[in-house]
Amino acid sequence: MKKLSIEAKVGFFVIIGILILGYMSMRIGRFKYGPDRGYEVYGYFDSAEGLVKGVPVQIAGVEVGRVLDITLEDGRAKVALLLKPDVTIGEDVEAAIRTKGVLGDRYVELILGAPEAPPMKPGGSIKRTASPANIDTLLKQLDSIGRDFKQITGAISGVFEEKEGQASLRIIVDNLRDLAQTLNQTVQKNNENINRILDNFTVFSTDLREISSTNKESLREVVANFRQASDHLGKTIIAFKQITDKINRGEGTIGRLIQDEETVDTMNQALVSLREIAEKINRGEGTIGKLVQDEETLENINATLTSVNDFLQKEEMFRTYVDYRGEYLFDSDNMKSYLSLRIQPKEDKYYLLQLVDDPAGRTKKTVTTRTVDGVTTTEIKEETEKDDFKFSAQIAKRYYDLGLRAGIFESHGGVAADYYLFDDRLILSMEAFNFNEDEDPHLKFKADYTPFRHLYVTAGFDDFVSDEGNEFFFGAGLHFSDEDLKTLLSGAPIPH
Amino acid sequence: MVKLGIIIRLIETVGRGLIRFIEEFGLVMFLFLASLVWSLRPPVRIRAIFKQMEFVGVNSLLVVLLTGIFTGGVLAFQAYHGFRLFSAEGLVGSTVALAMTRELGPVLTSLMVTGRAGSAMAAELGTMRVTEQIDALYTMACNPIKYLVVPRVIAGVLMLPVLTIIADFVGIIGGYLVGVGLLQINSGIYVAKMIEIVELEDIFNGLVKAACFGLILSLIGCYKGFYTSGGAEGVGRATTQAVVIASVCILISDYFLTAAMF
Repeated sequence: MKKLSIEAKVGFFVIIGILILGYMSMRIGRFKYGPDRGYEVYGYFDSAEGLVKGVPVQIAGVEVGRVLDITLEDGRAKVALLLKPDVTIGEDVEAAIRTKGVLGDRYVELILGAPEAPPMKPGGSIKRTASPANIDTLLKQLDSIGRDFKQITGAISGVFEEKEGQASLRIIVDNLRDLAQTLNQTVQKNNENINRILDNFTVFSTDLREISSTNKESLREVVANFRQASDHLGKTIIAFKQITDKINRGEGTIGRLIQDEETVDTMNQALVSLREIAEKINRGEGTIGKLVQDEETLENINATLTSVNDFLQKEEMFRTYVDYRGEYLFDSDNMKSYLSLRIQPKEDKYYLLQLVDDPAGRTKKTVTTRTVDGVTTTEIKEETEKDDFKFSAQIAKRYYDLGLRAGIFESHGGVAADYYLFDDRLILSMEAFNFNEDEDPHLKFKADYTPFRHLYVTAGFDDFVSDEGNEFFFGAGLHFSDEDLKTLLSGAPIPH
Repeated sequence: MVKLGIIIRLIETVGRGLIRFIEEFGLVMFLFLASLVWSLRPPVRIRAIFKQMEFVGVNSLLVVLLTGIFTGGVLAFQAYHGFRLFSAEGLVGSTVALAMTRELGPVLTSLMVTGRAGSAMAAELGTMRVTEQIDALYTMACNPIKYLVVPRVIAGVLMLPVLTIIADFVGIIGGYLVGVGLLQINSGIYVAKMIEIVELEDIFNGLVKAACFGLILSLIGCYKGFYTSGGAEGVGRATTQAVVIASVCILISDYFLTAAMF
């Protein structure tokens, strides 16, 4: 058996280590929280006691997100919940802080309301919340109730204890007794008077009845007067009628205006043409008519709106990144530049187009075999174009923290693996390309660290299996998403 | 007057000890900076690095595997007895996993590698020093730090995390075998609790620690070997000191790294 080379042994060893690490981190990092995976809603609790960042959010015991942040706002705890994008909750959802396990771990339980409730928008706030009902708060409430009681009883007893209080209390009681006594005396004294008042009332009602019965005649007169008044009213109406008749006959200014045939004709014509237009529209004739009457138009409008909506929604997920990176190569004292366009239709997938300015250039090897008189000569011509442009085109797919890329790397076929760490701030990449029979493949290791939003630094070891081209590099890059452009395209408010 | 002389001599001993400590610390730091500078200067001796990686990493695999699997197993045993008191046997898995990834994986691996590779580094460089091979390298205009120290330090820093992750993994497997196989803990609960409680951060911080320990053990091994004097006896002394000092430094720095990270 051929003995394994040192490189092979070390290589196997490292690969095993990386595989184990990858497996373990995949098992643990089930639900990663990048900036884009999910949406935030807020809940305001009277107390977020015991709640910590990162604890699960559950609906019916199923984990649907995590607690992102807990801050204080106006004396209440503002808890930011990050929910998975495929989870929809209604606006009438209720959030409660619950306890699980013997150790009393806290989590947030969402209780869904009516299914027909409008869905909660990202960034919305949960109206109904229930803070944890623990023994502490319960005791605290009892305590405050007890304290209130104590205050009341204290006040009463204070009143009783103080001399002044006792005195005033005694006065109040005395007054009350006096009042009751006076009332009693009044009633007893005026017993006769009261009786008389009642008698008077009886007499008054009897008089009233007598008046109505004896004065029947007078009442009749009143009715007659009313009749006369109405007669006058009738005459007035007749006078009015005469005026309108005058107008009808075309006498006076108004009369002339109304009686003039021309005016009426014009008005009639206007009305006729209006009716014609309305009929046309009803029959679906003419442009507007067609628009209004045609079912297709409506469908078209609907479809257009739907597709616009779809487009806008897709636009939300669809991302484009422009990236420039420069690498300073230590050995050859050169700069290698990359300009790339990353089109990311989904969160876990992207396409990469890259233009590489490589100072090392491209080596072109031409092998010509000529046979002249039975003698074969082989001519190998090597041309190196300095400072050559190369291009890369790759597809990438991400599984948890591991990203895989395949495609064209610097004008050669190849594959690569990326490992994302610390919320994607650190990316370790290993690229292998230019698989060639008589040369070692080009292997490149790099680490990108993004301390700020648009800026990152990079360092690595390029072509490290080859004996000639291997060199360390260090560099930096700029990274822009299409955010600004996108804001113009889809982020602008659209009236619904 | 005699008494005063004794007191002064005592104070001198203390002072000498401190000065020696600072001197040695300075020399180790110097070696660290020198190897840092030399490691950045081309050409990269890739073959020498690979050779040391094989020596430090691949050849330590068996020792680390044995250490890891039995440590995990014994941890599961001990944790089980504790957790049984309040019927929380399901937490044994997470305890083992947390202890392995955060603490025992990196520390025990580094101690084992110190015993295996750190001592060998000191002995190798020490022998080269007393047989004047290092001086010979100087005369050949070949920097011995670049040629001897840098590959060992790089190998230590790179290989210890790899060994540690393997130790973590087999430790967890060892704990699982004991917990589920011997102690009849429900395997579903065992694994679920472990996944629930262990965070990615635990593993990574353990690996960062391991890289630091790798630096310490290779640096001290090289330092003790590089500055050996006194013939064969000196080599023996250097080897012993390298192992002792490196082990103690690993445990001390472990405390500070843990305090800083978690």
